[in-house]
Amino acid sequence: MKFRSVVLAALMGMATVLYAEAVRAQFDLSGNWAGESSEDPVEHTAGGFPDMFAGIPLNENARQAGLTAPGDEMQELNRQCEPWPAHYLLVGPWGGRFAALRDQAGHVIAWTLSSPAYDRLPMTIWMDGRPAPPPLSLHTYAGLSTGRWEGDTLVVTTSLLKDAYLLDNGLPSSNQETDTFFLTRYGDEMTIMLVVDDPIYLEAPYVSARTMKLISGGSIVDNPILYCMPAETIQGFTDGHHSAVELPPQEAHQEAYLAHVYGLPREATDGGAQTMYPEFAKKLVGYRPPVCTLYCAQNRRVPPDPFRR
Amino acid sequence: MVQAFMGSGARRVFRFGGALLWLSLSPWAQAQEPRAAASSPVSARAQAPFDLTGYWVSLITQNWRFRMVLPGRGDYAGIPINPKGKQFADAWQPAADIAAGRQCEAYGAPSVMQIPERLRIGWQDDETLRVDTDEGMQTRLLYFGAAASAPVSPSLQGTSRSRWAMFALTNPAGAAAPQSAAQRYGTLVVTTEHLMPGLLRKNGVPYGAQTKLSEYWKLRTLRSTRWLLISTKVTDPEYLAAPYVYDSIFQQEPDGARWAPGACSLTS
Repeated sequence: MKFRSVVLAALMGMATVLYAEAVRAQFDLSGNWAGESSEDPVEHTAGGFPDMFAGIPLNENARQAGLTAPGDEMQELNRQCEPWPAHYLLVGPWGGRFAALRDQAGHVIAWTLSSPAYDRLPMTIWMDGRPAPPPLSLHTYAGLSTGRWEGDTLVVTTSLLKDAYLLDNGLPSSNQETDTFFLTRYGDEMTIMLVVDDPIYLEAPYVSARTMKLISGGSIVDNPILYCMPAETIQGFTDGHHSAVELPPQEAHQEAYLAHVYGLPREATDGGAQTMYPEFAKKLVGYRPPVCTLYCAQNRRVPPDPFRR
Repeated sequence: MVQAFMGSGARRVFRFGGALLWLSLSPWAQAQEPRAAASSPVSARAQAPFDLTGYWVSLITQNWRFRMVLPGRGDYAGIPINPKGKQFADAWQPAADIAAGRQCEAYGAPSVMQIPERLRIGWQDDETLRVDTDEGMQTRLLYFGAAASAPVSPSLQGTSRSRWAMFALTNPAGAAAPQSAAQRYGTLVVTTEHLMPGLLRKNGVPYGAQTKLSEYWKLRTLRSTRWLLISTKVTDPEYLAAPYVYDSIFQQEPDGARWAPGACSLTS
């Protein structure tokens, strides 16, 4: 009798451990992930178009900052190697590597997301239920991220970010920004939706999404190692239009430039929440973009330019 | 037999072990992969882990220059178009298609969720979800269960077979734990085929008759705002060199006050 009891207890214990491990493994984010979806392939790789803010719910502060952002600024030695904040996972070209950080019992206490590119810092998503940090805690480019499971979705909240850029055409992001990521894995694919709240520079949440694909081994093409090498002069960095001494309003100049480059009215390129909604398309009937001459048949991603942030 | 094998001591151990197993799994119950809903008499409407019905407006925060205005001629960025597709698109003339009555060819299932538009979603019956668009006035019918097996001929919206991939809290015996609707999580998984050829982009990028579509429809909620995220993968052996993957975001609206039906157009 005692022997059978001991055997049964042992079997139960083994089943418990094995089943829990199996279930845990099913929802494992670990691995190398590369961007699969195709949205804004040029903007997210070669770089955003100057003065083109359509579809971004920016406010007037951000608009003025974006319009006056000179390419020259990125020539400064002390800024060339600045990393991006957490939202770069959605607006940048890179995927990344998820790995679990476990305690001695095997429980996941954090997920880490790293990238071999210099311009995105490792992100740690704390899963241990720690409280939200005080607002005057240290701000970093990676910020502080906490996560929780809502059913099959990992919901991540990131705050304590530094002042940086929302997009690399000069649109700023503030240290008051809060990012909320929703990550759901479907087999070898993962969808990520991001909601950016920024009371300083946005008049409404900026929502975007991306699908990523699990890649075996981690391809050098999908996640290349990218070093930053500051240089005194970066040839061809500026576009010939922007300059630190040109400040708005220079309406005639701006509008001529925008009409020539994008075939769009200033109202559209100025962005703002209204440009996100279908009603705005009605205002654009009759506008025609110019014939495409650059990056036109780009299937997925433009090769990264290490000098663009 | 079991009773004969298990003495009272063994039964106590079994009960204790069962309880231990249940308790040990409860932290991990939140970490299960979505699973297909088992066939049951419960209707698709009753199984729904979230309520999709109502009005939704598309948020054009991505691919703006391809969606809000006519894309530039020759601008195929982001689409893994193959040489045959590029040849087709380079030669495409909208006037000819308009004259032939094909104004809606850019509003087929592979591309209609990219159009700036509003959606009206409701249950046509217990096994069919109906999705109407105001722009282009298209209707997609998402069939669940047996309704999906009906033979059909090719059409602009094709045939969409759907299922709920449920995330369910389960006990060790595999039976679903009781849940309220607010506690259920899941994804609407849709596959579409039997499509008529059409356009992925209003500058002539084509898709062919062998095109298939797979979609994940997922509800996202933050504070009081609800978003519908539709992640789409288009495969077409005729005109695409690789799957075309994109994500569409819709935000829920309180009512249909801004619902504004409009005809298909290839010129705006």
